[in-house]
Amino acid sequence: MSDITEPNRTGRDIPPIAISRTTTEVNPTGSWKYIQPRYEDRVAPCNAGCPVGIDIEGYLYLLGQGRTAEAAALLLEENPMPAVTGRVCHHPCEDGCNRANLDEPVAIHSVERRLGDIALAGPAPTPPETLRDERVAVIGSGPAGLAAAYHLARLGYRVTVFEAAPEAGGMLRLGIPEYRLPRAILDRQIDRIAALGVDIRCSTAIGRDIEWSELDEFDAVFAAPGAHVGKDARIESSDAAPTIRAGLEFLKEVNAGARPALGDHVIVVGGGNTAMDCARSALRLGSVVTVLYRRTPLEMPAIPQEVKEAKLEGVGFQFLATPAAARVEDGRLLGIECQRMELGPPDDSGRRRPMPVEDGRFSMIADFVLTAIGEDCDLAFLPDGVEITGGVATVDELCESTTARVFVGGDAADLPRSVADALGSGKRAALGIDQWLREQAGEDPGELDVAALRFGASGNVSIARKRGTDPLHRAAPVNEVVEFDGMNPVHFKPAARNEDHFHSAGDISASFGEVNFGLSDREMSDEVERCMNCGVCNRCELCLIFCPDMAIHRREDGEGFEIDLRYCKGCGLCAAECPRGAMAMSREES
Amino acid sequence: MSQTIIKDLMPKDELLASGHLACPGCAAPIAMNLVLKALGPQTVVTLPACCWSIIAGPWPQSSLRVPLFHTAFETGGATASGIKAGLVARGDTETTVIAWAGDGGTFDIGLQALSGAAERNEDIIYFCYDNEAYMNTGIQRSSATPWGAWTTTTPAIEPEATPKKDMVSILAAHGIPYIATASVAYPVDLVEKVEKARTIRGTRFIHILAPCPPGWKTQNDETIDLARQAVQTRVFPLFEVENGRDWRLTVDHAGDPVGPYIRRQARFKHLTDAHLELIQKDVDDRWERLQRRVEHGT
Amino acid sequence: MKKVMIGNHAVSWGVQRARVEVISAYPITPQTQIVEELSDMCADGRLPARYIKVESEHSAMAACIGASAAGVRTFTATSAQGLALMHELLHWAAGGRLPIVMADVNRAMAPGWNIWTDQNDSLSQRDTGWIQLYCETNQEVFDTTIQAFRLAETVNLPVMVILDAFFLSHTSEPVELTDQEIVDEFLPKRVAQYKLDPADPHAFGALVRPDAYMEMRWQQQEAMRETLTLMPEIDEAWAELTGRRYGAIENYRTEDAELLLVTSGTITSTARHVVDERRERGEAVGLVKVKMFRPFPTGALREALAGADRVAVLDRNISPGHGGIFAEEIRSALYDVPLEDRPRLFGYVLGLGGRDVTPAVIDSIVDRTWSADQAERQDLWVGVEL
Repeated sequence: MSDITEPNRTGRDIPPIAISRTTTEVNPTGSWKYIQPRYEDRVAPCNAGCPVGIDIEGYLYLLGQGRTAEAAALLLEENPMPAVTGRVCHHPCEDGCNRANLDEPVAIHSVERRLGDIALAGPAPTPPETLRDERVAVIGSGPAGLAAAYHLARLGYRVTVFEAAPEAGGMLRLGIPEYRLPRAILDRQIDRIAALGVDIRCSTAIGRDIEWSELDEFDAVFAAPGAHVGKDARIESSDAAPTIRAGLEFLKEVNAGARPALGDHVIVVGGGNTAMDCARSALRLGSVVTVLYRRTPLEMPAIPQEVKEAKLEGVGFQFLATPAAARVEDGRLLGIECQRMELGPPDDSGRRRPMPVEDGRFSMIADFVLTAIGEDCDLAFLPDGVEITGGVATVDELCESTTARVFVGGDAADLPRSVADALGSGKRAALGIDQWLREQAGEDPGELDVAALRFGASGNVSIARKRGTDPLHRAAPVNEVVEFDGMNPVHFKPAARNEDHFHSAGDISASFGEVNFGLSDREMSDEVERCMNCGVCNRCELCLIFCPDMAIHRREDGEGFEIDLRYCKGCGLCAAECPRGAMAMSREES
Repeated sequence: MSQTIIKDLMPKDELLASGHLACPGCAAPIAMNLVLKALGPQTVVTLPACCWSIIAGPWPQSSLRVPLFHTAFETGGATASGIKAGLVARGDTETTVIAWAGDGGTFDIGLQALSGAAERNEDIIYFCYDNEAYMNTGIQRSSATPWGAWTTTTPAIEPEATPKKDMVSILAAHGIPYIATASVAYPVDLVEKVEKARTIRGTRFIHILAPCPPGWKTQNDETIDLARQAVQTRVFPLFEVENGRDWRLTVDHAGDPVGPYIRRQARFKHLTDAHLELIQKDVDDRWERLQRRVEHGT
Repeated sequence: MKKVMIGNHAVSWGVQRARVEVISAYPITPQTQIVEELSDMCADGRLPARYIKVESEHSAMAACIGASAAGVRTFTATSAQGLALMHELLHWAAGGRLPIVMADVNRAMAPGWNIWTDQNDSLSQRDTGWIQLYCETNQEVFDTTIQAFRLAETVNLPVMVILDAFFLSHTSEPVELTDQEIVDEFLPKRVAQYKLDPADPHAFGALVRPDAYMEMRWQQQEAMRETLTLMPEIDEAWAELTGRRYGAIENYRTEDAELLLVTSGTITSTARHVVDERRERGEAVGLVKVKMFRPFPTGALREALAGADRVAVLDRNISPGHGGIFAEEIRSALYDVPLEDRPRLFGYVLGLGGRDVTPAVIDSIVDRTWSADQAERQDLWVGVEL
């Protein structure tokens, strides 16, 4: 018991008044919490929806930071030809864009195109410093073949591309008209791939110019010959009319520079991109063009923008109609007998099957008919061991065929058909070949976890993930896609989408010049800002400002934030307010 | 810009320390942090009895990195007046003196001192962070408690029977140079108002809505959303009044129906749809009156 | 410079000489002239102080507390109801160890309204931790006001300077207004040990738990004890400069006295006359004036009163349910005096509500004290006529 007349001098040094001596930082209020937050980057739906497997969210973020060179580098890590895809891709990324729930999707294709053009203006790449010994043969220089060559070259392999046509590019050059994809852009994009050390040999078709056995010197082969054989539209008496032709053949000629006169009236049969390309090309050659499609606009496989542009340019459309018979006189086409159709129950593709309407015949004038109802592959050159089913090769996840050492991709494999899907398959094939060759070389590269490389469960694989070249700090990344309901949209103000600028439709005349001028730099910046950076922290700092306990701090390396668990009380405001679902709460870890 | 990028708009000063004793999810420290960021380190705070008396930390700690003077409940306006006079007397005319009070210490027991200071146009900024009851002593009603709310002194069988006192009108009648309402869900708006207030001489009053999870019976992580919804439903509009005459709204108010805002707070769970209609009508009437003031002044 | 002035103005002049920096006050009869004169002084520059014309006494003390916490010299004045309204904050000023000086014009507490003098208002505050100094003359009021600042700022305790309503506050007497240079020598500028300063930020007055509160109150009590020794030193320093001294208590003709009167305030002046008369008549009567009531000058009073046969304490106050407050405190101070030296104590309650205490009243008290063996009750009320 202390002395009751004099205090004990215990050295506590209590001041005469309640004046503070420390901050409250001596209180570890983190002991109060039973749940705690963490930063957890997820996958944006654009990444997951891109068949090429591009970190779209990543390069949009970098652009938003003004880090344009890094944005271009990240884009080029996955996509060898962004200046091409920005112009011709059907951009499923935009279909999945969460922004559509707020106002309109981000114009990702416009940004990609601009970034691709900026990259083309920069220095060309060079081959890697060290090369491996293995050599890989790539058959076909379309998007699939070029992508495989690009990624394999960057992985250090010596690649030779064999191209049947006189110039490289495959469908990009032969099938897509110049007004959509200027030749100069395509040429420069291909030159960049060659600059990596890829040897492109044109006018060299396997089976025609060289034998398959001559490829034995290569350690692996990737066959991506594409699909160039137009399907037969089965129009009666069509062989009597020389002006009923496969649309793809017509396009090859026009895209090589020919400017045939087709006559006053042209009918294009089909609803896909080839049909639109034929129609708009024929229009530029001076004809009145009508597209005949057996279903309705809703079922058209063509990119909707292409259809819209075709209409604006003056292409006519007849829906629910097929050509039945040709009216020929003296070896000259006069017109087509058409059959009115109606939609019945769905077929294998899931779309409703068109069925002829009784007494539904009608007549159309035609000087020229171009059929574009789909293409088949010519795979005769492949060795027997490669299984072909339904006209395409059977391949695994990484494009390996049923014969070891032989990989098949692009339109020739059992895959969806688009430029993007072809590019994506070329990348997967490159990874598959790399994995196989390393195993063959006895390097024991370990199991390739393809799922971990994919953006989300269903996205394509990422080279950046494989090579560890992602320039962005990812906080505890989780390979799940963020849906709109996992975000907090109140922090976004509606902002109208910037639309590409087009050549005015009335000015088309006979020009094959590019009609889509894209966006200005300022408009591109606006689109970049509209990106919500779904699932990935973009350092907006709302968590920091809303934390009642000052428990969130900027990391010293500038890569995001960290939570001081000594003080965090687990209120959850940070995660609740995060606009982009890049945080999660969980039970406290002891 | 389609998303507010906060980091470019927030002042950099960090004047509130971690380890303070606020409940998880409390809006009061968020408000204090934003205010001190806007005012900077050349600030003295006087703090009458309220939740913040505890949040600040017990002796020998302080959670503020500026001088803090705890004072008796009803004295916010008077103590701040004295501190300002003392600083000026010793030659410091630059330090901003603020009173930081809850709704009890402003609307009720502190009303006289605030009115006196306002009438004298004392050169202070008076902040009221309003959680709509005497929360620190256990959720008893104040004259800031909204109509129909449960509190421990207005039980559900006989809930709060009078509407929230209109402090802004009272202070506007004093004709002070600057009055503003603010919400922690609109940090940029709040900071801008405080920065503006700092440049004005005379009595400035800023009324900040501060939702309270235990008192409003909401979840800890709803605080910001509530503070946002209160504004968007026009229950707590954000505006400024200059010289008691010129009224101006400072954000867009969507005019969302008040029902969901009320229903998510269990302090209102005893209310019927008929009660909600009355509340909606009252919100609409007050909005209309505010609109008239914005258009014509007072 | 000698001037004839009312007691209230003597306060004002003391404040002016002390170079007070912030004044915060609210008017109440009979204090009003203090603040009115100060108002003039601030307006014409005789006193360059900031004067906050608050809207209540509670706010007046709050503003003083704020200003004092900012490190400057502060002053307020009040009376009766106003002092009572400040009560909560009197604790705050003392516990906050703020050297505020306040003039209290002793006035009776309502109801019924009564503006005349008694001591219940100040004595009701005796437990708040303020030093209390009761004045007898206007000169003493002026001197004590100045001394109060030096005392307050040395021990860091607030000081109440107390003067009777009307008998001093409104009564004119000659006051020597000591020159400013002399006052400056006696009372330098305040240097606050702790103050609100953004350059050195601290929190003041936060929650203090049981494990530390007592230590702070101990230190406050130690400061009160220190005041007992410090007050005579300050008194002496003032005497050296002005020739005037007062002491915590004053013994008037107490040598060999058998009957001692104990008084405070203006009753003292009247009592001096009575003592003189009795001495004329050969009676061993003396007077002890109590100036300092808090801290209570136990030692000095024991010394002054022990050995006398009878002590008559004149209380112009009453603690209902007990007795006159000076009497009760003196009674307890005398408890430890050995029985043989312990005088018989007579506690007289008189003059409440401003009832005049004339020489005849005091005479009757002296007579009564001589004639009674002991007090029949604790509180002997004088002049009550129901």
